[in-house]
Amino acid sequence: MLSLDILPILAAGGIGAPTLPDLGWFTNSIFVAVVVTVSILLFTRMATKRMELIPGAKQNLVEYLIEFLYGQVEGIVGKHVAPKAFPLLATLFIFILCSNWFGLLPGVGTMGFGEGPTKHFLTLDTSVVDSHGHATYTPLLRPATADLNMTLALAAVFMLVWLYLSVKELGVWGTIVHIFGPKGGLQGALKYALMPIFIFVGIIEVVSIIFRPMSLSLRLLGNIFAGETLLHTMGELGKPIGFPGWVAWLSSVVFPLPFYFMEILVGALQATVFSLLCAVYIKLATTHEEGEHH
Amino acid sequence: MADILKTFGLDWPKFLAQVIIVLVVYFILAKYAFGPVLAMLEVRRRRIAEGEANLETIKAEMGKAEEKVRGMLDKANADAERLIAEARDSAEAVRNQKTQEAIKEAQSILEKARDASRLEHEATMNELKRDFGRLVIDATSKVTGKVLDEKDQKRINEEAVGQVAL
Repeated sequence: MLSLDILPILAAGGIGAPTLPDLGWFTNSIFVAVVVTVSILLFTRMATKRMELIPGAKQNLVEYLIEFLYGQVEGIVGKHVAPKAFPLLATLFIFILCSNWFGLLPGVGTMGFGEGPTKHFLTLDTSVVDSHGHATYTPLLRPATADLNMTLALAAVFMLVWLYLSVKELGVWGTIVHIFGPKGGLQGALKYALMPIFIFVGIIEVVSIIFRPMSLSLRLLGNIFAGETLLHTMGELGKPIGFPGWVAWLSSVVFPLPFYFMEILVGALQATVFSLLCAVYIKLATTHEEGEHH
Repeated sequence: MADILKTFGLDWPKFLAQVIIVLVVYFILAKYAFGPVLAMLEVRRRRIAEGEANLETIKAEMGKAEEKVRGMLDKANADAERLIAEARDSAEAVRNQKTQEAIKEAQSILEKARDASRLEHEATMNELKRDFGRLVIDATSKVTGKVLDEKDQKRINEEAVGQVAL
């Protein structure tokens, strides 16, 4: 049985979870993020420690994945930017995919702590309430990508690298011209006549850039959190329907099953969408328009 | 905005911790996974390209070698045919020469044999004539009962030999 002393270490994180004062930054989702990180790093280290021209199974798998991802990234951002953008985009994809799928492991989100009149400490009952009717259930593990802190961190790191790549590729002035300058190779009087419109479009573009981290992070969070909630709801659907004990238990296995397959798909899809959008943003910011001088 | 973010669970220390985790994954993967794997893929790609280039070179060199071998074989065949023709001509000439020599030799042998035979025949005839003359003298001497002198013997001998047509 786990000691109560570790409770603060596995403090809650994410939507609606209480914040514990001591070591509050180390949440269950951060714990999962660390586990995912260590797993990814250990596996890749094992696969790439002794690289050989004729690869073994692990090296082959990693090489296949990286080669496939590199091909996709190169197809979007182009040959010139791909070597610089690939490490970030591949990291985002692999990390998000592993985090999303980790959330589907049995026990993640469904096993936790709850202190109530009848339930104490480790429980599978997510509806535990205290004597005042307040929810006290805190999951032991939560998918890292079901925590806004993680999805926003992913988006923030991307935006930093995006800014670095944009400025490195176009220069500071080039980036400003790229956003606010005339498009379509306009010349002469027409160019100056349309400048206010291009500046206005540039302002809209800046606003959209500012909102990109929020859109990226909330989209991922929303999908994964919704998936987690859906699975929990389906798992507990037997009770509100009024099934007897064993039928309710059976329904908690049968009802979520189709949605598990859907969530496997959603996990892969959201990792793809996040990375794909990031690649498109890099492509848009680093494309040299005809007539631009850098 | 702050309330919205708080409602969604955003907390700066937690956010910073997650940023650090993402950066750690990013840098370690970039250094220990993507870098070595992409380098290995590049090495393999270069090796394949080199292999293909070498294959082309080997094919070209093999074509040249085959051409060279074909040329050498043609030359060797021509040389062989020429040598055979020369040998045939030479053999023909030698055969003719030897035949002529053999014919001459045979003729010479025949000539010599013929001469020898003639000489032997003549010697035999002379011997026979002498013996015949002696027999005739002996017979005459016995028949006549007289001793023939040198002169008679010569005369009888010449007459007897003269009557024998050998």
